[in-house]
Amino acid sequence: MKKIKILTIILGIVLVTMVAFLGVYVPVQNRMENKVKDYEYGMDLKGSRNIRLSVDTTNNTTIKDENGNEVTDGENLTDEELQEKGYKKEETPKNLQEVLTEENYKKSKKIIEKRLNDLGVNNYIVSLDETSGDILVEMPENENTDSVISNLGTAGKFQILDSETNEVLMNNEDIKAAKVMYGSDPSGATSGTVVYLDIEFDKEGTNKLKEISSTYVSTNETNNTNTTNTDTSETTSEESTEKQVTMKIDDETIMTTSFDETLETGKLQLTLGAATTDTNTLQGYIKQASNMAVVLDNENMPITYTVSTNEYVLSDVTQDELNLIVYLIAGLVAISLIILIVRYKTQGIVNAFSYVGLASLFVLLLRYTNVVISIESIFGIAIVLILNYIFVNKLLSKLNKEDSKDKGTISIVLKDTYKEFFINIIPICIAVITFCFIGWEPISSFGMVMFWGIALIAIYNISITNLLVRLKEAKGGKSKDGRKQEKNDEKI
Amino acid sequence: MEENKKKMTKKSKIIITIITLIIIAGIIVTLTVGLNFDLSYKDSNRIELYLQKDFNVSDIKQITDEVLQGEEVIIQKVEVYEDTVSIRAKEITDEQKQNLVNKVNEKYGIELSADSIEIESIPNTRGRDIIRPYIVPFIVVTLIVLVYMSARYNKLGMMKVIFKTIIISVVAQALLLSIMAITRLEIGILTIPLVITVYLLTLIGLTAYFEKQLKIKNDK
Repeated sequence: MKKIKILTIILGIVLVTMVAFLGVYVPVQNRMENKVKDYEYGMDLKGSRNIRLSVDTTNNTTIKDENGNEVTDGENLTDEELQEKGYKKEETPKNLQEVLTEENYKKSKKIIEKRLNDLGVNNYIVSLDETSGDILVEMPENENTDSVISNLGTAGKFQILDSETNEVLMNNEDIKAAKVMYGSDPSGATSGTVVYLDIEFDKEGTNKLKEISSTYVSTNETNNTNTTNTDTSETTSEESTEKQVTMKIDDETIMTTSFDETLETGKLQLTLGAATTDTNTLQGYIKQASNMAVVLDNENMPITYTVSTNEYVLSDVTQDELNLIVYLIAGLVAISLIILIVRYKTQGIVNAFSYVGLASLFVLLLRYTNVVISIESIFGIAIVLILNYIFVNKLLSKLNKEDSKDKGTISIVLKDTYKEFFINIIPICIAVITFCFIGWEPISSFGMVMFWGIALIAIYNISITNLLVRLKEAKGGKSKDGRKQEKNDEKI
Repeated sequence: MEENKKKMTKKSKIIITIITLIIIAGIIVTLTVGLNFDLSYKDSNRIELYLQKDFNVSDIKQITDEVLQGEEVIIQKVEVYEDTVSIRAKEITDEQKQNLVNKVNEKYGIELSADSIEIESIPNTRGRDIIRPYIVPFIVVTLIVLVYMSARYNKLGMMKVIFKTIIISVVAQALLLSIMAITRLEIGILTIPLVITVYLLTLIGLTAYFEKQLKIKNDK
């Protein structure tokens, strides 16, 4: 009965090992597909999106009238039409020569790093070419990558201008913070949700906003109303004479509007898109607003950049190199287990199986808990395997020193080993739990791997290893292996 | 007993001396020659070749070994179709670019023109940028561990425990980096994982040592 139980457990372990390391293949459309979930690889093992942000060398074109005032409606005019009207085209570089300094390049790099952090990018490498000012960014590839990239090079220049004179009324310097808010449709027309970009201004900005909102007020005076009644339609035309402000982000007009009331709170809420009940659309608006908030929340870039290279580059760690690491770890585990078997004979064999079972369950656990596998986490896997080896070795060593192998003694030995082992790794547990909460992928992946590993060591050994040890040592008295071991220990 | 203690003290002294010498040598090497960063962190040149078909990295490696005379290179597949290769080396001259293109054309039966391929310069990644994300986590962990250690091993003397934990943790890291500096081992993707591993193993060692000391104290 005892042998059958041990054999059943060992067969179970063999099965789990096969699933973990070989997979479960089923035919799908004339090919075999592994049904076991694949690992999630990190940037260092999978690949990264490589972006080169180059200093923008293009020009801004402005059209000015005879008096040197900027003309806003001249963009669509041909050169001849411009000449007829006496307008002139002026080309000014987007980045003036005096801003292209090493100091500004470094500042831009810092702003990009901060934006990456605020946009939730959890692993990146930013390097700066101090001569050309080019900034290279390596970041993980995921569903947010494109959206992040679109916000990296933007200058983040915020302006509220008089729509007629183009006088700058407010800019980034007046912003205290920007965040995303959402709520129900204020008009009450739909049951949908509206996303707002909430811009909070500092003390000076609040005063400016108060003044602007009391100056640029909606005064929808109906100067002329023509009503035409026919059998089927009615047409009403209105003309407004109000003063308006234009809100621009990176020189692009976001809206031209006036204020219904004086804003005294120092907060400006811009609606993004229309009210919606669709989750995906809403998520899109939230993401767009969040990105905008991050850009506004940070300093604006002293230099305008353009994305000159944007490509996905695979890791230089090849599959062969990864396999080599796996074989190396497997080899070291095999040698360690042979030592265990030589030292503890049959008890060693049983525990070697148990150890392999833990390793197999561990890799399956990593696949299904979506832990990101990075170089750091491979080291984490190795440390977990070392820790489990220490535990098993300690347990067997203590067991062999005991005269009696009844259930009570085994329980005490197991309890002692547990206590001793886990007291010794409390600092590691502290480090691992802390690492899990760090928003930097290489370190959090290491923490997660170690966390699952230590949890598995605790649960697996108290169940499977414990059961195997009890079954093996079911009868009282010291085993032959144990006596031999004791003799060896005495010699030493 | 006394003799054993004397032997231990003598052994400890020798070990401490060796460690000190290694660290001093490491500091000297770092200050004079600097650390040996691997190519992915160094100033380098890069070219991209559109091969129009799947390829083996080992075949490209053979070509780069011939043209760049065994110089360290990073070969990566580019984009989802993996039909473009990125070759990065410390320096790629126009002549080497021409040779690489010729060999690749010959190997894959394509007609790439060296003139249309640009040598891109890749700036170095600063060491401080590499370690920056790890500083806060390590400080936080160390502080929590120190609080735990001083509470758990209060009987051994709080200040003594804190001092030993800090010193041994720092020495272990300094020793690792000094060995890397002296042996000219490259600072690359394995360095940070190694640092974390050494840090955790140091913590295990320290706990085991303090536990032993505590047991001796309690037994007395």
